[in-house]
Amino acid sequence: MHNILANLVSVEWIIYIASFGLILTGLFIVFTDKNLIKIIIGLDMAETGVNILIVAAGYIKGNTAPIFSKASLTPAQMTDPVPQALVLTSIVIGFGVTALALALVVRLYQKTGSLDVSKIRGLKW
Amino acid sequence: MRKIVGLLLIFGFGFYLVTIIGPVVFPSSTGEKASVGVEVLKNEVAEVGAANTVTSVVVLYRGFDTLGEVTVLFLAALGLTLLMKGEKHLQAKLFDESFILKTGSYLLFPFMILFGMYIIVHGHLTPGGGFPGGVIIATGYFIIVMTSDVVRLREGLVSFLEGLAGLTFIGLGLVGLFKPADSFLFNFLSKGTFNTLLSAGIIPFIYAAIGIKVGSELTGAVGNMFFSPYGRQKDA
Amino acid sequence: MVNPILLIVVPLATAFFIPIFSLIWKGGSKYLALLAALFNIAVASELLVKVKNGPIHVTIAGYKAPIGIDLLAGHLGVVFALIISVIGFLVLIYSISYIKGGWLDRYYALFLLLLAGTTGMVLTNDIFNLFVFFEIVCISSYILVAYNQDSHGLEASIKYLILGSIGSTLFLIAIALIYMKMGTLNMADISDKIGGIDSASRMLIIVLLITGLGVEGALFPLNSWLPDAHASAPSTISALLSGFVIEVALIVLVKLTYSVFHATSILVFLAVLGVTTLLIGEFAAFRQENIKRALAYSSIGQIGLILFALSLNTEAGIRAGMFQIINHAASKSILFLASGYMILKTGSYLYKDYRGIAKKMPVSAFLFAVGALSLIGVPPFLGFFSKIQIIMAAAATGSVLNLWLIAAVLLGTIIEGIYFLKIVIVMFSGTGEELSFSGGAPFGAVLPIILLGLVVIAGFVFLPYLNTVNTSVAQEIVKHLSLAQLF
Repeated sequence: MHNILANLVSVEWIIYIASFGLILTGLFIVFTDKNLIKIIIGLDMAETGVNILIVAAGYIKGNTAPIFSKASLTPAQMTDPVPQALVLTSIVIGFGVTALALALVVRLYQKTGSLDVSKIRGLKW
Repeated sequence: MRKIVGLLLIFGFGFYLVTIIGPVVFPSSTGEKASVGVEVLKNEVAEVGAANTVTSVVVLYRGFDTLGEVTVLFLAALGLTLLMKGEKHLQAKLFDESFILKTGSYLLFPFMILFGMYIIVHGHLTPGGGFPGGVIIATGYFIIVMTSDVVRLREGLVSFLEGLAGLTFIGLGLVGLFKPADSFLFNFLSKGTFNTLLSAGIIPFIYAAIGIKVGSELTGAVGNMFFSPYGRQKDA
Repeated sequence: MVNPILLIVVPLATAFFIPIFSLIWKGGSKYLALLAALFNIAVASELLVKVKNGPIHVTIAGYKAPIGIDLLAGHLGVVFALIISVIGFLVLIYSISYIKGGWLDRYYALFLLLLAGTTGMVLTNDIFNLFVFFEIVCISSYILVAYNQDSHGLEASIKYLILGSIGSTLFLIAIALIYMKMGTLNMADISDKIGGIDSASRMLIIVLLITGLGVEGALFPLNSWLPDAHASAPSTISALLSGFVIEVALIVLVKLTYSVFHATSILVFLAVLGVTTLLIGEFAAFRQENIKRALAYSSIGQIGLILFALSLNTEAGIRAGMFQIINHAASKSILFLASGYMILKTGSYLYKDYRGIAKKMPVSAFLFAVGALSLIGVPPFLGFFSKIQIIMAAAATGSVLNLWLIAAVLLGTIIEGIYFLKIVIVMFSGTGEELSFSGGAPFGAVLPIILLGLVVIAGFVFLPYLNTVNTSVAQEIVKHLSLAQLF
C-alpha cells in the first residue's frame, strides 16, 4: 500500500498540481468573472502558480538551500540558485502590477460607481 | 455561455500544459542537472565570496534584472502617487484606537526598523536582503499609520531617499565601467573574509541601496494610499 | 569604446534623479529628460557607425555569456535604439507645450522609463532580462495611458493591464519551461540547445512566447485593448505607443522566432495572422468617426502589414518590413502629434468638426496629409517605397498563398486610402469660418512635426543608405544565434 502511494504521489505531481491548479483557476476567474477585484485576484493566483513552476525548475531532489553557512556544505548538496533569483524578480513585478491595478480600480470605482466590467461602458471583451 | 467557453479554454490549456510539462522529472542529484545555476554554484565562492549564493545571483550574476526589478517598484510607486494623490489629504480618524494599541505600536516601531536593517545588511550571509528588509521597514510605518492619526508622511524625504538609493545602485554599477574590466556592475571591491559582514565586495552596498529604495518606496505607497482622498471613507 | 549599456542606464538614472531634482527646481525635469534623450541619440548614432564591424557584445558584471546577463547590440538593436531615441526626443519637445495638467515631473520620469524599457528589450540577449524590460514597458504604458485620469483613460488602462498581465503570465510559463528543459536563459545558448529538446515542448514554448509578446504586439485576437488605450492616452503617448512600442514587441517576437527558436515553419501562420490583423484593423478604422480611434485602428492594420512582411521567411521580406517600421514610426507620430492640437483647439474628437482647419492650422493640416499619404503608400513619400518593397518581396517568394495575401493587402490599402482621404478632404474643405478658435499650435509643437515630415517627404534621398542598413538587420535576424559567434 505504501509503495503504491509512493509511486502515485511524487514530488513532481504535488508541485505540478499546485502550480497548474493555481494558474488555471486564476485564468478561469479572469475569463469569466465580471468583478474587477476578483479579476485582479485571479491574475494574482495565476502569477503565484507560475512562481511555483519557476522555483520547481531549480529543484534537485534531497538538496538544501544554496547558502554556504557551514563549512561542511558542498555545491553538490544544493539546489539551483538561479530560478530562486528569478522568482524573487517575478514576485516583485507581480506585486507592482497588482498594486497599480488596485489603484486603478479604486479610481475607476470612484468615477463610475461600479466594479462590474459589463456595467462600465467601454469594457467589453 | 461565457463560463462554458472559459471552462473549455481552460481545460484545453490545462491538458496541453499537463501533457508537456507533466512528464518532466526533477533531477535526483546535481550531477544529473546541466544548467547555468549549477555552474554558478561551483564557482560562486571563489568568484564572489558571498555565503548566500542566491544573493550573489540576484545582485551580481543577474544584477541587471534586479535593476529592472527596482525600476518596476519605482514605477508602481510612481503610478500610485499619480493616481491616488488628490488635492487634499484626509485627516479624519478611522476609529478610536485604544491607548494600549497606540503605545504598543510606538514601542514596536524602532525594533521593526532595526530588524529590517539587520535583514538588509545580512543579505549576503543569510536568507533575506534588500527586498524583505525594505518590506519590514515599510510594515513598521504601516503599523504606526494604522493605529494613530497624527503621523504624516514627509513626502519630500521619501522621494529623496528613493531617488538617492536608485542613483547609488546605478552609480556603483557605473564605477565598473571605468575599471579595466569595462563591465557594468563589475565587482571592484575585494572579497574580504568569507562569511563575515564585510565580504563579497559590492554586494552589501548594493543590497543596502536596494533596501533603502524598497523601504522608502513602499512607505510612500502606503502613505499615499492611506492619506489619499480616494483611499478610505470616513465612517458614518 | 561606448558601451551600449549606457543607452539603458542613463535614462534610468535620469528617471531616478527627477524626483530629487524636482525638489530643487520645480519644472526643471523636462530639460533633464531632453538631455537624456539627446544623449541616447548621440550614443546610438555612434554605435550605428561602429556596428558595421560586427555586433557589439558586452557582458554585465564581467561574467561570461551563459552565466551572467549580456547585451548584444547588433544592427537590429542599434537601429531600434536610434528610432526610439529620435522619436522620444521629438515627442518630448512637443510635450513641453502640450502637456500642461497633471504631475509633470512624474510624466517625464515615466516617459524616460518607457524609452529605457523599449531600448532594453531590443538590446538584451537574455530571455528573462527581456521579460523584465517587457514589464517595465507594460507598466509605464499602463500608467501613461491613465495619465489624464478621466474615466476613459482609467478604463482603457485597466483593460490593457488585465490583458497584458495574462500575456506576461504566459511569457513566464515559457521561461520556466525553457529553464527546465535547457537550463539556460541566454538567447544564444538557447539557440544552440533548442535542437536537442523534443518538438512538443519546443512548440509549447513558441506558442506561449508568441501569445505573451503578441498581447503587446497587438496581434489579432489579442488586440482589443489597443484602440481604447491609444485613443484615451494623451496624444504624445499615443504617438510613442503607436510609433515604436508595438513595433518593438513585434520585432522581438520575430527575432525570437527566426534566430533563437529557428521556427520557420510557424511563419506561414504568422503571415496569415498578419494579413487578418491588417484587414480587421483597416475595416474597423473605416467605420470610426473619432479621429484618434481611427488612427489607433490604422496602427493595428499597419502592424498586420509589418508582421506579414517580416514573416515572409526571406531577407527581402524582413528588409521591407524594417523599412515599413521606420515609415510607420515617422508617419504615425506625425498623425498623432498633428491631431493633438486639433483636438485641443476644437475640443472635439470627431473629425467631421475639423472642416476648414487647414485655413487655421495650415502646417499641421498639411503635415497630417503628408503622414496619411505616406501610410497609404502614395509616391514620392517614404511609404510608397516600403509598400512596393513588401509587395515585391512577397511576390518573389513565388507561393500561391502569398499572391492571395498580396491581394488582401491591396484591398486593405484601398480601404486605408478611402478613410484617410475622407479625413484629409474634410480638413482642407471649408473656409475656416466654421471654427471659433484663433491661432494655431505653438512653434514648439509644430517643430517636431516638421522634422518628422521632412523624414517622410525627403526620405527617398536616403533610400540607398536605408536599404543597406535594413539589409544588415535582415541578415542578422535570419542568421541563427550561437554562443560561439559571440566570442
